Amino acid sequence: MLSPVKIWRNQKKVKSLLNLEGKILSYTKVYVPPAGFEQQAPYVVAIAELVGGIKVIAQLIEWQDKNLKIGQKILTVLRRTKDPGLEGIIPYGIKFKPVD
Amino acid sequence: MNVQVLGGLTSNFGELWDTSPRSLVRETCYQLFKNTSLPKSKIDAVLVANMLSSSLGNQDHLGAFFAEELGLNVPAVKVEAACASGGMAVHLAVLSILSGQYKNVLVVGVEKMTDYKPELVNKALMGAGSEGEREAGATFSSLYALMATKYMAEYKTKEEELAQVAVKNHYHASLSSHAQFKNQITIDAVLKSPMIATPLKILDCSPISDGAAALILSSDNKNSKVSIVASQSGSDSLSLSQRENLTSLKAAVISSRNAYKQAGITPEDIDVAEVHDCFTIAEIIAMEDLGFFKKGEAAKNIFAKKTWLGFGRPVVNTSGGLKAAGHPVGATGVKQVVEIFHQLNQTAGKKQVRNARIGLTHNVGGSGGTCVIHILKRN
Repeated sequence: MLSPVKIWRNQKKVKSLLNLEGKILSYTKVYVPPAGFEQQAPYVVAIAELVGGIKVIAQLIEWQDKNLKIGQKILTVLRRTKDPGLEGIIPYGIKFKPVD
Repeated sequence: MNVQVLGGLTSNFGELWDTSPRSLVRETCYQLFKNTSLPKSKIDAVLVANMLSSSLGNQDHLGAFFAEELGLNVPAVKVEAACASGGMAVHLAVLSILSGQYKNVLVVGVEKMTDYKPELVNKALMGAGSEGEREAGATFSSLYALMATKYMAEYKTKEEELAQVAVKNHYHASLSSHAQFKNQITIDAVLKSPMIATPLKILDCSPISDGAAALILSSDNKNSKVSIVASQSGSDSLSLSQRENLTSLKAAVISSRNAYKQAGITPEDIDVAEVHDCFTIAEIIAMEDLGFFKKGEAAKNIFAKKTWLGFGRPVVNTSGGLKAAGHPVGATGVKQVVEIFHQLNQTAGKKQVRNARIGLTHNVGGSGGTCVIHILKRN
């Protein structure tokens, strides 16, 4: 089970990374997921450089094929990340959304 | 420095469902004691290389676990540095001999992975990554896929060129008795294999494997034919996203540069190398990080068979590499040194590189957070 304390601690970091624009440095479409992500596959994981030079790895959501390119502009948004199982606290984190 | 390799042995790699980690280690080490004519009473310390015994097997305290199995009462401890656990255990064994405290050190790497379903193994392996990577649902194949996407865009590399790395390593494995996959494959087969994380297909990826490998290092140079002449390690950010660039592993560049300096040689002197080809793109990047090819030129040189047995120098991954020999994580770094030992000792069998005098091992942990380099020389 995910530790609720750990989730609480990490939530504080999420705020500073929200609603920032950035550009995709690299991406991949994941077909074989780790445990906890089986329901989401296939999904796109990307590394983006945000305004201010912070680099973050996260999933790309609401994408179309034309968005899968290096240099694609994105915006950071808050989304549910992985399946917490039957008893865990639902974890939320950063994801990327393509913008024009 | 005086660190000798008295002997080395690799177990069969593969899906060893009827074999426990205990018996894998016992059989491999006892056979090694026999081969080297070194009674186990002469072993002064044991270093166990392993990554996943806690997360998959619920077993910690591997030093005592295997000391019991081997009937030894000497110092024994587990060394963990993700997929570089094996190389790191060899590195620490070298240092322990150089300290003068121990004369003969047994290094044994072991991993048991196929008892568990792939999703669980993928999750456990991501223990070597960062929290952010785990939260994104990244796997190790996807981290190397991120490097591949960037590398291919930057250097106009084709999927065929990536595939050729797997074709070469399967060819080498077909000559190797302990390899998990002894079948030869074609570029076409790699390109048509199921996608894991774009652009990497299943035949671009090393498998999930069980296996063990053991080495005896010593300061006694009376009967030894092979020495370790450099042992270096370097590190970098745990998370791939924090790297300066995605097409080179800084830890590998730093540790190999230091190793060449320590050995007093250049990359051109290397006859044979075992590099960490957890994915095809990893071998391409390794070739450049180690100074064998200029940046952006490794893929076409591998495609032109420059690193194949019987074609050019250095010959790379005669064991079949991680791709085809298999990748029992903790055993891999030890196996690399075992392979180079046999190449320099002229006991590599059908995959023997003629007149190999100097060899190198390149063992990477995680997506490049750790790298360990060894250089070995025939005495």
